[in-house]
Amino acid sequence: MKVFRSHLLLCGGTGCHASGSLEVKKVLIAELDKQGLSNEIKLVETGCNGFCAMGPVMVVYPEGILYVMIKPEDIPELVEEHLVKGRVLQRLLYREPVTEGIIPTMQEIPFFALQDLRVLRNRGLIDPEKIEEFIARDGYAGMAQALTEMTPDQIIKEVLDSGLRGRGGAGFPTGMKWKFAAASQGDVKYVLCNADEGDPGAFMDRSVLEADPHAVLEGMVIAARAIGAHQGYIYCRAEYPLAIHRLNVAIGQAKEYGLLGKDILGTGLDFDLEIYQGAGAFVCGEETALMTSIEGKRGMPRPRPPFPAVAGLWQKPSILNNVETLANIGQIILRGGAWYASVGTEKSKGTKVFALTGDVNNVGLVEVPMGTTLGTIVYDIGGGIPGGKKYKAAQLGGPSGGCIPVQHLNASIDYETIVQLGAIMGSGGLIVMNEDKCAVDMARFFMDFCQDESCGKCTPCREGTKRMLEILTNITEGKGKEGDIELLEEMAAIIKDASLCGLGQTAPNPVLSTIRYFHKEYEDHIRNHRCAAAVCSALFKSPCQHTCPVGMDIPSYIALIRAGRLEDAYKVMLRTNPFPSVCGRVCDHKCQSKCRRGKMDEPIAIKFLKRFISDNAPRPKIEAVPVTRKEKIAIVGAGPAGLTAARDLAIRGYKVTVFEELSEAGGMLRWAIPSYRLPRDIIAKEIDDIRALGVEIRCNTRVGGDVPFAKIDQDFDTVYLAPGAHKSQKMGVPGEELKGVYGGVEFLRDFNTHETAWTKGKKSLGAKVAVIGGGNSAIDAARCAVRLGAEVTILYRRERKDMPAATDEIIAALEEGIKIEFLVAPIKIVEKKGKVTGIACQRMKLGEFDRSGRKKPIPIEGSEYTLGVDSVIAAIGQVPDLSFVPKESGVSVNKRNCFDLAKESGSRTTNPKFYAGGDALTGPDTVIGAIAAGHQAAKDIDGAIRAQNCEAVYEEPAGEKIVIPFVLDEENPETPQTKMPELHGADRKQSFIEVELGFTMEEAVQEATRCLRCDVEV
Amino acid sequence: MEKKIPLNMDGRDVEAVAGQTILEVAREQGIYIPTLCHYSKTTNVGACRVCVVEVEKARSLVASCCMPVSPGMVIKTDTAKVRASQRLIVELLWASGDHNCLTCEQNGACELQNLVYWLGIEKPRFNVAPPGYETEKTNTMIQRDLNKCILCGRCIRACNEIQVNEVLDFSGRGSRAKVGPAFGADYIDSDCYFCGECVDACPVGALTFKQARFAGRPWELKKIRTTCPYCGVGCQMDLNVYNDRIVKVTGNRAYEQPNGGSLCVKGRFGLDFVGHPDRLKTPLIRKEKGGELAAATWEEAYGFIADKLSGIKKNNGPESIAGFSSARSTNEENYLFQKFMRAGIGTNHIDHCARL
Repeated sequence: MKVFRSHLLLCGGTGCHASGSLEVKKVLIAELDKQGLSNEIKLVETGCNGFCAMGPVMVVYPEGILYVMIKPEDIPELVEEHLVKGRVLQRLLYREPVTEGIIPTMQEIPFFALQDLRVLRNRGLIDPEKIEEFIARDGYAGMAQALTEMTPDQIIKEVLDSGLRGRGGAGFPTGMKWKFAAASQGDVKYVLCNADEGDPGAFMDRSVLEADPHAVLEGMVIAARAIGAHQGYIYCRAEYPLAIHRLNVAIGQAKEYGLLGKDILGTGLDFDLEIYQGAGAFVCGEETALMTSIEGKRGMPRPRPPFPAVAGLWQKPSILNNVETLANIGQIILRGGAWYASVGTEKSKGTKVFALTGDVNNVGLVEVPMGTTLGTIVYDIGGGIPGGKKYKAAQLGGPSGGCIPVQHLNASIDYETIVQLGAIMGSGGLIVMNEDKCAVDMARFFMDFCQDESCGKCTPCREGTKRMLEILTNITEGKGKEGDIELLEEMAAIIKDASLCGLGQTAPNPVLSTIRYFHKEYEDHIRNHRCAAAVCSALFKSPCQHTCPVGMDIPSYIALIRAGRLEDAYKVMLRTNPFPSVCGRVCDHKCQSKCRRGKMDEPIAIKFLKRFISDNAPRPKIEAVPVTRKEKIAIVGAGPAGLTAARDLAIRGYKVTVFEELSEAGGMLRWAIPSYRLPRDIIAKEIDDIRALGVEIRCNTRVGGDVPFAKIDQDFDTVYLAPGAHKSQKMGVPGEELKGVYGGVEFLRDFNTHETAWTKGKKSLGAKVAVIGGGNSAIDAARCAVRLGAEVTILYRRERKDMPAATDEIIAALEEGIKIEFLVAPIKIVEKKGKVTGIACQRMKLGEFDRSGRKKPIPIEGSEYTLGVDSVIAAIGQVPDLSFVPKESGVSVNKRNCFDLAKESGSRTTNPKFYAGGDALTGPDTVIGAIAAGHQAAKDIDGAIRAQNCEAVYEEPAGEKIVIPFVLDEENPETPQTKMPELHGADRKQSFIEVELGFTMEEAVQEATRCLRCDVEV
Repeated sequence: MEKKIPLNMDGRDVEAVAGQTILEVAREQGIYIPTLCHYSKTTNVGACRVCVVEVEKARSLVASCCMPVSPGMVIKTDTAKVRASQRLIVELLWASGDHNCLTCEQNGACELQNLVYWLGIEKPRFNVAPPGYETEKTNTMIQRDLNKCILCGRCIRACNEIQVNEVLDFSGRGSRAKVGPAFGADYIDSDCYFCGECVDACPVGALTFKQARFAGRPWELKKIRTTCPYCGVGCQMDLNVYNDRIVKVTGNRAYEQPNGGSLCVKGRFGLDFVGHPDRLKTPLIRKEKGGELAAATWEEAYGFIADKLSGIKKNNGPESIAGFSSARSTNEENYLFQKFMRAGIGTNHIDHCARL
């Protein structure tokens, strides 16, 4: 036998073929020849390696180095470096996506390390077109044992003992199936292999057939021996040409070797095999339809009984097993049922192969023990969700299955648990969906698939799926009605219960499971015509506008920038947002997360463009609005919610008085957000505009202090309570009450109140500061502390990807020299003579997933250590302080210290005279959320007053007509987002000057030109 | 001895015979289970699903038409779940087609209409959306309006399993499935023999007899049993008569032998001559060569024949006469005819058209 010094195992699965492995192979062969290495180094094209996301992949043995995403042009360097000079080519190695660390060998890459390969044991290791390589890995040894040493009963017993259940999805015990067929009388019996894998997103069977076809043949021969069959068929869909090719090669080789055909291994067993190519009907994966199809008839299911074990193909006793099931058999016989049953759960034994696809980093083929948690598959093996998006759900079982949402990431993947959660194992398609997927649209997609694939035989499936699709389509197009959800549920139950075959009986599953987990999303579509994922395009003009809580007309003001009409752009912004220059700086810009441009390269810098307008356009002149209404309105709290409501109500002719405890209006904008992010004059100008309308703002006036609550109640007709959430949550550790320990917002407020004292050193944090928390206020506090000259360490109990703070803010903090320690939690503040000297911490590790989809930090015993610091800022969250609201007011406050609302209202409290909104209602939220709350409150207050007076509903005056220009771009080449010019990290540590400098006109137009104008119908 | 199977149906303890379906047992017991796709003497396909019943311990509803009984089965045919399913299925079928009873030939004899009434459905919860197929107008016998088709497949089984003509099958998938000859051909361009078995099988107004359209409502038609006059098989059939005119001919499966309700194209569509204005109602005699045929009485006609035959026999001998009888005659008539030729005329020159 020829010995090679090195083997190159190049993946030749369909996935890698698609990403170019055939071309790589060609170039590689030529290069090896050129270098004269063909006699020393052997190139093997294997079946699917599984790491499809990284294809084409190649493993170099004996080192076991995995190269990923190889391009033909990489080959000369790769051969020269690795094969000639013996140096690993670093740039083609796998990089861990979060840490960017290089992992050279397969065994160390989490994607492979956490898998348990049984069915896929030969993947990427053998040439599937060489029977010798399969035999060398114990191939056909199980068959030999079954044929020479075991009776059919013993074979069946072994399979029963293994606990193997049908991997096609239904999970019927394989041994039982065989037992029934063995007991059926008849000279002619059939062994059938179901390779009609047809659900969207599933490619397990294809990969097994491509990577290890002999394993399936071996299983079929053993099955034939067990039930007494002499003929078998593999029903493989014609869309799998490579699988069919490799099967044909395998059948030919097996026959040549006497492992198939007449008198197998001299044991007297005759068993022949044929491939039957299915024409692609999904229903032909159903066993009776599959058999009808092999019989040459229209592939439609027939009623059972009789069951195939009694009367199957051509009315003869038959067994039908899935590819994966059969691929397990050889190993079960060789190693024993007990070996197989040694992994898995009580009722689901062995391993399961999943085709991991969708919004997950490591798209590919994975095999894990039954009972592995969904989170492990998605996050640890799958590498999590790309682009920092959130996990929404995973669809298991394709169109027949259901989705498993974030709160069940800890669920064990086994037959029983999955069914309890409303999904099915299916053949193992696992489609991960991120927050940008709409549950209703997803249900609609799968229902469309099912109604299209329904054979049309039975009424519930044929007509029922069509009508369910009609209802779902209506909902996604904004034509949903009250009662639709209930009708869908009723239909789903009946279609499941009354359909003829598995297709119809499972077709409603995606609808039921999305209704179960995303009921609110359905309601939101039907009642509010809102699609939170911005998928159902019939519901909106553009995804950005739809996603904005106040519905800012983003495409229009961007178009106006491009046309150079900045004043008009400003007017467009002011229609929906009284604080555009604030939002241009500190908005969390959810709009950008749904920007369609982001699917092409990067989203439009909407926030920066908004700021550009407010910085550069002439401010539209504000004139006072005369008071035309008799009702007087009080607003408590001059933050964005209160001021927005004040503005809207003033415009409607009300006399509005705003009460503010602090010395200046602005709320969190003024008192928490540091001025290097949001300069004071910017806020002041926008608040002045609101004053100019006629709104009276009384600062330094605490309701419940300077003015009694009862007086407000007495003097005003309606009161809007928007006091915000200005109290830091406690850490609950000893020493928290010490001087030198601050709450995040308390520190920021104090700093903003006594800025000079702090900057001149009259007040000080000391040399070293620890900031606890991972949100925006933690970063704000840390960045302020750095500017005061401190050395700052942020302590966060989870990992970076879990931090709620904006990514840009985290990056800015790191640039300014702030250290962030992850997986650390404080346990005690250390003091000396009443002065903080340090903070005792404990290291954490990550455990199970919590309901937010993040892993829970768990303390590591014995990992305690102390960090020497002079002050501690605990910015772990805020709560409202509603102590000013007397119990007898009838305004109810809940356990979270937030206002309760009356039923069916978005802003009315339990006392109909009082309305509430902003952070005091929701807990800490965003500026734009508060603005939206202000709008809502104004609308509700005005609506209620008018309704009481039997007046018509307020109609917004038509306003100035602004024509929005549209330029149709012939081409829109890929270009990244325009970068925001910034102060240099070192410079900005010295001062509180605004860090982001703003776009120039040129930059703004360039960025505006990137807009794809989803809002325009051409 | 047939094996008896004890079971319980709607609270009754019942003994069934092995191999019987739940539906068969129910019918024996006088328990009504509606059906649409079920068509006796053909395969039970379980397609329409209106015959579902609840069976204890079964994981879903069970189609009674194709579920064999097993010992100890506890069956319930009229639960809320069963009725809700039947209602939805019937609503779906209703909404799927152009079920406009105002002009439908099947009005009053329509199984879907009966079921809608029985279930008390005022109107379907879904938009009525017929598929919009063209009504087939290319033949004179069978009216095919697929907009009324409920895809029960009875016509297909009637064609393939009873008549074994194998002309009809489904094409297309899902709600685009439709019934017809291969490659979407019209009946007239297919291998169809126009036996009309499919029309008799159709539970709704998708397949109707063209000649019968607007010629009388089902309840106005008098059904008269008769024997087909076309051949010696003696097929039993019903003449559907309105105002003494034959409107259509239908098979009647209750008559059983010899044809079990099936007919051929002649018996089915060949009786329109009965009321045809050109039909001969008296014998005609051409008294002189080249002369006109003139109406005569039966006495005159038989007298004329007897005279002529007697003359020929006398002048040229009995061997100069040959007899040829018709397949439209019965066995008895044919027997009499050969007896007449042999004994009456005295010749063995006798033959029958069926031998040709």
